[in-house]
Amino acid sequence: MAASRLPEADLEGIEGVRMTWNNWPRTKVEASKCVIPIAASIQPIRPHVDLQILPYPPLRCKTCSAVLSPYCRVDFTALIWMCPFCYQRNHFPQHYQSISQTNLPAELYPNFPSIEYTIPSYPQNPQNFNTSTTVCPIYLFVLDTCLLEVELDFAKSALKRAIGMLPDNAMVGFVSYGTQVQVHELGFSEMSKVYVFRGSKELSKDQGFCDLLHNEIFLLPASECEYTLNSLLDELGTDQWPVAPGKRPLRCTGVALSVAAGLLGASMVGTGARIIALVGGPCTDGPGSIVSKDLSDPVRSHKDLDKDAAPFFKKSVQFYEDLGKQLVSQGHVLDVFASALDQVGIAEMKVAIERTGGLVVLAESFGHSVFKESFKHIFEDGELSLGLSFNGTLEINCSKDIKIQGIIGSCSSLEKKGPAVANTVIGQGNTTAWKMCGLDRNTSMTVFFDISSNEKSDPSGTNPQLYIQFITSYQSPDGQTRLRATTVTRRWVDGAVGTEDLVSGFDQEVAAVVMARLASYKMEMEEGFDATRWLDRNLIRLCSKFGDYRKDDPSSFTLNPCFSLFPQFMFNLRRSQFVQVFNNSPDETAYFRILLNREIISNAAVMIQPSLISYSFNSLPAPALLDVSSIGADRILLLDSYFSVVIFHGTTIAQWRNMGYQNQPEHQAFAHLLQAPHDDAELIIRDRFPVPRLVVCDQHGSQARFLLAKLNPSATYSNAHEMAAGSDVIFTDDVSLQVFIDHLQQLAVQAS
Amino acid sequence: MATPGGPRPGNFPPNYSTNTLANNMQNLQINQQQSNNPRGDAPRPPHAAPPGQQPQPFGGNRPRAPPPGVFPRGPVPTNGASQTTLPWNPASTLTSPSSVFQPPPSFIMRTPPPVALASSAGGPVPPPPGAAPLTGPGTRPQPFISAPLTSVPPVLPQMSTSGPSNNGPTAFSSWPSQGGPHFPPAMAGTPQPPAGPPQLPTLMTSGPSAQPLQMRPYFRSPAGASPVTGQPAPPFSAPTQSMHQPSGSPHGMQAWPPQPGQVAPHPPVPGPMQQQRMYGMLPAPPPLPNQSMSLSHTGQSKIDPNQIPRPIRSSSVIIHETRQGNQSSPPPPATSDYIVKDTGNCSPRHMRCTINQIPCTVDVLSTSSMQLALLVQPLALPHPSEEPIQVVDFGENGPVRCSRCKGYINPFMKFIDQGRRFICNLCGFTDETPSDYHCNLGPDGRRRDADERPELCRGTVEFVATKEYMVREPMPAVFFFLIDVSMSAIQTGATAAACSAINQVIDDLPEGPRTMVGIATFDSSIHFYNLKRALQQPLMLIVPDVQDVYTPLQSDIIVHLSECRQHLELLLESIPTMFQNNRTTDSAFGAAIKAAFLAMKSSGGKLLVFQSVLSSIGIGSLSAREAEGRSNKTAGEKEAQKLLQPVDKTLKTMAIEFAEYQVCVDLFITTQTYVDIASISVVTRTTGGQVYYYYPFSALSDPAKLYNDLRWNVTRPQGFEAVMRVRCSQGIQVQEYFGNFCKRIPTDVDLPAIDCNKTIMVTLKHDDKLQEGSECAFQCALLYTTVYGQRRIRVSTLSLPCTTMLSNLFRSADLDTQFACVLKQVASEIPSAPLTQVREQATNVCINILHSYRKFCATASSSGQLILPEALKLLPLYTLALLKSIGLRADGRVDDRSFWINYVSPLSTPLAIPLVYPRMITIHDLDEKDLDDSPIPSPVPLSSEDISDEGIYLLENGEDCLIYVGNSASPDILQQLFGISSIEEIPNQYVLQQYDNPLSKKLNDVVNEIRRQRCSYLRLKLCRKGDPSGMMFFSYMVEDKTPSGLSYVEFLVHIHRQIQSKMA
Repeated sequence: MAASRLPEADLEGIEGVRMTWNNWPRTKVEASKCVIPIAASIQPIRPHVDLQILPYPPLRCKTCSAVLSPYCRVDFTALIWMCPFCYQRNHFPQHYQSISQTNLPAELYPNFPSIEYTIPSYPQNPQNFNTSTTVCPIYLFVLDTCLLEVELDFAKSALKRAIGMLPDNAMVGFVSYGTQVQVHELGFSEMSKVYVFRGSKELSKDQGFCDLLHNEIFLLPASECEYTLNSLLDELGTDQWPVAPGKRPLRCTGVALSVAAGLLGASMVGTGARIIALVGGPCTDGPGSIVSKDLSDPVRSHKDLDKDAAPFFKKSVQFYEDLGKQLVSQGHVLDVFASALDQVGIAEMKVAIERTGGLVVLAESFGHSVFKESFKHIFEDGELSLGLSFNGTLEINCSKDIKIQGIIGSCSSLEKKGPAVANTVIGQGNTTAWKMCGLDRNTSMTVFFDISSNEKSDPSGTNPQLYIQFITSYQSPDGQTRLRATTVTRRWVDGAVGTEDLVSGFDQEVAAVVMARLASYKMEMEEGFDATRWLDRNLIRLCSKFGDYRKDDPSSFTLNPCFSLFPQFMFNLRRSQFVQVFNNSPDETAYFRILLNREIISNAAVMIQPSLISYSFNSLPAPALLDVSSIGADRILLLDSYFSVVIFHGTTIAQWRNMGYQNQPEHQAFAHLLQAPHDDAELIIRDRFPVPRLVVCDQHGSQARFLLAKLNPSATYSNAHEMAAGSDVIFTDDVSLQVFIDHLQQLAVQAS
Repeated sequence: MATPGGPRPGNFPPNYSTNTLANNMQNLQINQQQSNNPRGDAPRPPHAAPPGQQPQPFGGNRPRAPPPGVFPRGPVPTNGASQTTLPWNPASTLTSPSSVFQPPPSFIMRTPPPVALASSAGGPVPPPPGAAPLTGPGTRPQPFISAPLTSVPPVLPQMSTSGPSNNGPTAFSSWPSQGGPHFPPAMAGTPQPPAGPPQLPTLMTSGPSAQPLQMRPYFRSPAGASPVTGQPAPPFSAPTQSMHQPSGSPHGMQAWPPQPGQVAPHPPVPGPMQQQRMYGMLPAPPPLPNQSMSLSHTGQSKIDPNQIPRPIRSSSVIIHETRQGNQSSPPPPATSDYIVKDTGNCSPRHMRCTINQIPCTVDVLSTSSMQLALLVQPLALPHPSEEPIQVVDFGENGPVRCSRCKGYINPFMKFIDQGRRFICNLCGFTDETPSDYHCNLGPDGRRRDADERPELCRGTVEFVATKEYMVREPMPAVFFFLIDVSMSAIQTGATAAACSAINQVIDDLPEGPRTMVGIATFDSSIHFYNLKRALQQPLMLIVPDVQDVYTPLQSDIIVHLSECRQHLELLLESIPTMFQNNRTTDSAFGAAIKAAFLAMKSSGGKLLVFQSVLSSIGIGSLSAREAEGRSNKTAGEKEAQKLLQPVDKTLKTMAIEFAEYQVCVDLFITTQTYVDIASISVVTRTTGGQVYYYYPFSALSDPAKLYNDLRWNVTRPQGFEAVMRVRCSQGIQVQEYFGNFCKRIPTDVDLPAIDCNKTIMVTLKHDDKLQEGSECAFQCALLYTTVYGQRRIRVSTLSLPCTTMLSNLFRSADLDTQFACVLKQVASEIPSAPLTQVREQATNVCINILHSYRKFCATASSSGQLILPEALKLLPLYTLALLKSIGLRADGRVDDRSFWINYVSPLSTPLAIPLVYPRMITIHDLDEKDLDDSPIPSPVPLSSEDISDEGIYLLENGEDCLIYVGNSASPDILQQLFGISSIEEIPNQYVLQQYDNPLSKKLNDVVNEIRRQRCSYLRLKLCRKGDPSGMMFFSYMVEDKTPSGLSYVEFLVHIHRQIQSKMA
């Protein structure tokens, strides 16, 4: 059943790369006619059963430093390999002497386009050389104490459990904050010792602070400080500073994070470390404030942001941007676990989280399973491990004529210039190398490419294949330094747009996700950007270009199967939280977008177009149309919209269940039917991070809105009479998919 | 109370299990103890018998309000008899005398001073009080007092009874420390005391007769009102013989003024310039008391140094009635021992005027060249035999006040119109008597109830303040301790000393639910401690940002003492070890006090700072500018004097803010380096605090003083959030206030804290003429909160006669007060004017006064004679001493001079004289002397001629105490006094010990008596010839000629010449 959710499992393969176009147009003009940008979604350290790990360092081209790959032309007699990117001839070193056509090193095996090298020590970092053998991750916990007693207790117990789960050698630090920031010195034996920083003032980075932090022991191996930390947490109370009536508590999240960054920066530059912040409310004091102290001022909404009526927003974003830069330069990660009914400022922190490759989880309460399970998940070991890695660097080499515009995702540009840097920038651009302070096995990002050649360049001599190499070096969870080289090849397509080759290379799922990411990005970056119009226009252009139709005859319109799902994706994207932001708070939007950008394609596609599975007595569980018509009184529906998983019982099913038939032996089938969606939901939830919210509801129940909001409103009050009994209607004025398609066909066939 | 030395009561939390920690503490304590308690005889643990834990019925020493320097732990009544435990705690004696010899108190409420003290002192001193009987009363004061306190309001409102009730907290009423063993005799009417009163008539009569202004060079002793005259005549008997005697027995006599006769025999020395009569010994008795001397201009002293005026201290007690026959009576000298009976005017302890008659016009005053000023000390300690100040409660309406000038009701308000109205003696306005305060007048024109109402018959009363006098609830007593833990502080033992002192003082903090404490330490950052009881152990909260400080917690930093005592004790014991490896050399002093202030801001209170190194980082950080100044010699005096000024305004601004929130800062500077007292003292001066200076800090000899200073600081009578104003009768107004306070509006001074030692100088000026024959009144009103949280107004009124006669002014001049004023003014000038100018100014004050006297009151005498008004005959000596004092010497360390300037600022009148003219006594012959009433022998003049090589001398100025051992001192006496066999063994750091011999006991008696008198523990130092300590000792010999200063005789000649040139 899970398979039905992932009908084409492992599309990414060992490469971990999926592209919007698998066959590339040759020229810039043709590329622009393709409407959908040429982009690749990559998963830099995707785990794979076949992945080889080589215990030696890679051979690299001496001019472009590309790594030896199966696509290199090798002269076994001369022991020379030619770099496919720059055509530089490189000699094999001494120890490769014995290679031959039949005795290939693993990196030359054609079925290993991805290969990983273990680098014994990290020579770039001489000062850390000694410690490199014992590199252990650092976890610096930052806990908000401006909480209700009960919330704080939840948070504290989550922390305690987390500390218990940490490997013994993991270094741990602890910072709590409220009106002020308290840095707990764990290595002071005489008494509990706390450094207190005021919350209203940005920390000056003078060396006084650094000196101070140098002298003391704030970070200790988990095994040594677990007891101290536990008793410290036991004593930790909610923030003592009084809150005036009608005011918000003074909460200095910004300074707290800045102090945490400073703490790590003082001693741990270059060592993998993450700041794990548990935030329970909006920052109201000091830098990074998002709202005034006065309760009568609500936290900014999208409307405020649009109207520029959010006085704190820009300053706060600027602060977090600087913080992000600091963290990136230190190589540290910021994770935020926000649990509050109101917003806490994820929209502002987003930049720092994304740049550092941090994790983010948004929940309603520290007692909620979304928080509890997710928080537990990051410390999980073994199969469920997220494989949290540190200090990643991504370099991209590509064939001539290919330019890189940038990356949308959790990374930051290292500003490494090169011939492959495009003029136009999308996301983190202007570079061929990126820093990923934190990354995990699911981390995924979108690289946008551009074609530089305007004309067909010398067709005779050119290779019909293009090559792109992604080189990711990182520090694995167990402290090893790894380098993964993934080399992919695609084919150039000559000729006009619409050729068979081009069409057949289109990956509509990737294209939908890329469009969603790009639209989100533009909504954030471009003022007054109308995402709906932009999506519509592109969709119409795409259909005009690639559709088969007679001009001005909508009924003649057909689409190649390679494109057929795309309009529906767009329809759902238009209705999704990524485009229709006004139903959500800026924090939620930011949260959704961070995840949209860092999830793998299949998960991202689920965010855009949820999957729906129907369970009934008469058939096996089967995917159902994401349509209100799928609702049936005798059915159970399982909706996976990524952020929430909804189990929806039809009226009849709900009645039976309420009567307790499932407990009667003669109705065991009913019990199985009831259980099946729960089992499937469990599977979905188990390996997803953040843990989705599980909603179990009945038809006509209040929670049913989680399902109805995602369904195509083919039945509304206007046409309710046409619907079959037991079905449902959605009270909305939104257009249904049918109407949307109709319009699309009309517009597509019009002369452009 | 923790018992640092003894076995711990087992309340170490398990995590402190390291015995080393405890042991360290023990050692530390032991060392200190040894220093305090240096009796070498027994190996007993010093704190073996912690008094606090003794099962005394009254819980040891808690409640009393003991005088300074009581060593709390040692003395327990039971121990009294046996000296073995802690008998000679140097500290303890301080308090003891008062109690020990106390005659049965004359007042009902009065309780003998705390017993515990007695016992500690009990050893050597004749133990008449017997441990047992005293114990009861001694420990009782608190319950005792509290009763009247609480009962006051109900009792007094009706005013039907005179209701003399005890004044407030024990502390105030029973501050016994002034008591001395010699009191009993005085009270008992031994022959001497009458000497006091009888003078009065003399003075009175001599006054009028002085008008002829016939000046006689002759000197007539008995006429003066000074203590001098109080003595019987013996000195006269042998004036001549004594002149050439080596210093020795005649010392006592020498000081006697009436030796002009000695001058006579000298042949006139032919002055180079003038032929003049060196002495005019006209036999006619001079009408006005003078002292005259013949002086030659050469300064070659044919004058016998033994005959020039020197102070003599009467050891007998004077009974002083503030008014007699409805006339103000001139007060006894401030330095003398007296018992005041408040008969209308306030005690001179509370308020003294430079002249006891007020010149009617500004012309008269300026002609006299004297200054008109008051020295007010509103909470001054009473003599133990004095009646306590009475508390008057007017109920909801508050005290009766003049509706125009807001003066408080006092005995000089004149009721008229059958008592329906009264005339304000300050502004002259006629007020309606409040109906419930109405009382008919008697035939003498006084209210019939005048004698029953303290406010109508006493010069000082205390009113219960109503809500009107409060802007908030009276603040609790808050004590915040801030301790330097920088490397240097730790290594010199200063931190340990401070912690130990605080730990011992905890029990002495004012008892009660309102007492709150907090503690913080600092080096380059500030460490607060959360002492809340719920926590397992204290939590240390560090404030690293010393540029912009803040308080790390809203509450729980300052906690009720009762809630945190254990934590506090534990913490204080662990601080020295906790920081023992501290390598931070920087000090964020400015930031630390600011942070502590922020913690205290909501309540106000006392901030007690223990500082050891120069503030080097954070706000208000300072530079070692002394060194810079030294290397930059060429800059000259101007630069040098700049070092005495605060380096910038930062700390001043901070201090003003502190004062606004009623935070008072006291600094205990335990240092071995320069700390720029000039800059940091601004904080104490502005907030009503004071600086204690331990330089160079010695871990051996200073902890005892530190402890005693701290103890006195927290236990002495004091008040918080005070406002003071002095009102004067029409015609006179206040010109300026000097002292340690903050002034925001011209008329009032704000005192975040005030205590019994703080004196404020109030200069006065005429704005109109006064009526001859009328009286001019001064009223000092101090609104304050007691340590127990009662709001009170202490009102002292002094009414003095007005006169147009210059001679009256000179006759009623108050030398001690005048000199104290000069001292304070000079001290305040030093930082802002070149030293030569200040010195000249000081000399000129003296010259001008004497010139004025010479010109207008002694016109008939020969110009060749130096004529001194009797009342001011010591002015030249004191002036000379002032010129040679630390503050006016250019060669001193900058910090020493700054400290001196600061020390002077709030200095009380009785302590002003000894500061510049210390008292020196011989101690090698202590046991030969038969001192009947005072343990302190008569002083020796401060002249090296009087220092013999065989002798051992003790010199004290109220702060330091130097013991000089002559090179040929008898080894036997050395052995007896110091336990050493030769002077080579004299230690650098000295701790007074008591050995089992009479001489040593007497020395201890003497030192303890001095401590008691001075309310100061004294820094003891042994000096010997030929090393720096000897140099220091001789620098106090103010009568000597020094490279930069004149000898006494030369100075007199100089003065004389100046006067002559002015006359010409």
